[in-house]
Amino acid sequence: MDNKTYNEEGLSEEQRTGDTEQPQLQSFQDKPPVNPALRKAAVRILWIAGALLAFILVTSFVLYVVPGMQEAVSRHRPRLVNDPELKEDQSYRKQIAALTRDVQRLSKKYASYTSGQSYIVINTTDNRFLLYRNKKLIREGFCSSGSYTMLKTEGERKWIFKTPKGKYRIQGKITSPVWRKPDWAFVEEGLPIPSADHHSRYEYGVLGDYALSIGDGYLIHGTLYKRFLGMPVTHGCIRLNDEDLEAIYNTLAIGSKVYIF
Amino acid sequence: MENNIEESGLKRKRYFLLVSAALIAVVLALFTIMSLMAPGKKLEEIRLRFSQDEASGEKLDERMYSDSAYMALLKDRSYLQARTSMAETDSVYMTINLSDSTANLEISGVTVHSVRISSYKVSGILCRTDDYAISSMLAQPMNIVSDLASIKKEPLMIKMAPKDTSEFKPDIIPDTADYEPVNYILEMDNGIRIYVYQNTDTIKADSRHLFYFDLRDRLRTTWRYAKSSVIFRVPEYHPFIKLRMPKADAKILYRAVPRKGQVAVYM
Repeated sequence: MDNKTYNEEGLSEEQRTGDTEQPQLQSFQDKPPVNPALRKAAVRILWIAGALLAFILVTSFVLYVVPGMQEAVSRHRPRLVNDPELKEDQSYRKQIAALTRDVQRLSKKYASYTSGQSYIVINTTDNRFLLYRNKKLIREGFCSSGSYTMLKTEGERKWIFKTPKGKYRIQGKITSPVWRKPDWAFVEEGLPIPSADHHSRYEYGVLGDYALSIGDGYLIHGTLYKRFLGMPVTHGCIRLNDEDLEAIYNTLAIGSKVYIF
Repeated sequence: MENNIEESGLKRKRYFLLVSAALIAVVLALFTIMSLMAPGKKLEEIRLRFSQDEASGEKLDERMYSDSAYMALLKDRSYLQARTSMAETDSVYMTINLSDSTANLEISGVTVHSVRISSYKVSGILCRTDDYAISSMLAQPMNIVSDLASIKKEPLMIKMAPKDTSEFKPDIIPDTADYEPVNYILEMDNGIRIYVYQNTDTIKADSRHLFYFDLRDRLRTTWRYAKSSVIFRVPEYHPFIKLRMPKADAKILYRAVPRKGQVAVYM
C-alpha cells in the first residue's frame, strides 16, 4: 500500500493540489479511489436486487415448482396386463360376462334416448338452429334468441328476456299467428298498459306465417326483422326466417322434441 | 469507537439476515412437505369412499385390477352409468371423453353440441385408470358447486322502462363482436377441478389474460395451502382436468351448462 493520504472526495493530496506529474495509478496494485456515497448506493442496489431475486425465486417455487412436484410424485403409469392364467379363472369370466352385459344394456338404453323422429336443436350462444330427421341433419341456419335484457320499471316490476334452456316439446302449431302483446310490450315503449282484451294488444302479421309453441308462452315464429337473425335480440322466443320456419313447421309434429342450449 | 459501532451494526444485520433466511427455508420446507402429502391424502380419501368392497360388497381377485380387459369394461360402464343418470333429467350437461378428445353438450341423451379438445392435461392421481376407486368415482355424475370465469354466465343488461313514449328509444343492434377472453374453472362436488382454457395461438392479449387468470388461481391455491401448512394440516388437494379448446366452443359450453350442472368424464 502507498502512503498517500486521501480526502473525502477520494483525491490524494497531490491530485488535489495539482502539483503532480506522475500518473494517478502507479502500478496495477494501486486501488482506484472509491467514492463512499457511490459505494453505499451500489451496495443498496445490490441488496434490493438480491431481495427481489429471492422473492421471485420463492414465489416461482411455491406457485409453479411445488405443484409440478406434486404431480411428479403422484404421477402413475397404469400397469395393465393381459394375464392368460387369469383369463382361465372362473370368477374372472363371471365378472367379465356381467360387466359386458351391463355395458351392452347401458349402451342400448343410451342410444334409445336419441329419437328417430324429427327434432330441433337451438344454440342460443351462436344463435343457430339444427333440424334433424331420422337422426340426420336436414337443415341448419340462423335464428334469434333472447337478448338477456332485464326491463325494469320505476315500480317493482321487472322482466328478463331470455330463452329457456333444456328439453321441450312442441305443444301447438299455428298458421297465421296473431301476437297478443303482453304487458312488457307496452311498458317497453312507454305506453300505458291496456286492459286484458283491449284491441291494441293484438298485432297481425308480425310473427310470420307459422308459430310453434313450446310452452310457458315461448314460441318459435317468424320475424319482420330479418337483419337481426343470428343475434340475441328477442324477448325469449325463437325467431327464424320465412323459409326455415316453413321447413321446421312441416318437419316437426306436435310432441317433437326441442333441445335448447 | 465508530468502527465498533459499525461492526456491531453489520453483525446485527447479518444475524437478522441469517434468521430470516432460516425462517423462510423452514416455512418453505413445511409448505413443500405438506403440499407433496396432499395428493396422497386425496387418493386415500377416494379409495376409502369408492373402495371395491363398499361398491359391490364382494372382494375381487387383486389381479383383476391390472387386467386390461376388465378395467376397460369397468371404465366403459362407469361412463355409461354417469351419462345415463344425467340423461334422466331435462337439463343440459357436459360429457368429456379424453380418449377421443371431445367434449359434448347433451340433453336427455342427445348430443346437441360437440367440441374438439385441442389438448388436455390430467392430474397425476386421475391417471390411475387401473384403480377401481377412480373408475367408481367417475361412474357418478359430478355436480358443479362453483365456478370462476372470465366471462359472465348470463350477460344480463338492465334497461329502465321509459316513463312515456317521448323517452322511448328503439333497441340498437347488439354488439356481438367477441372481445372477452374465455377461460374458466369448474369446481366439482368430488373435489375435481375442470379448467377450460381457450386456445391462445392467435391473439397475444389472450395469452396475457390467460397468464394472469392462471396466476390468480395459483395464488388462491397457494394461499389455501399456506394456511393449512402453518397449522400442520395437510391441505386439500384438488385433482384437475385442464382442457384447451377454441374460444367459441369454450364459451358455448360455459353458457349452456347450468350453474349447478353436471359433468361426466371418460379417461
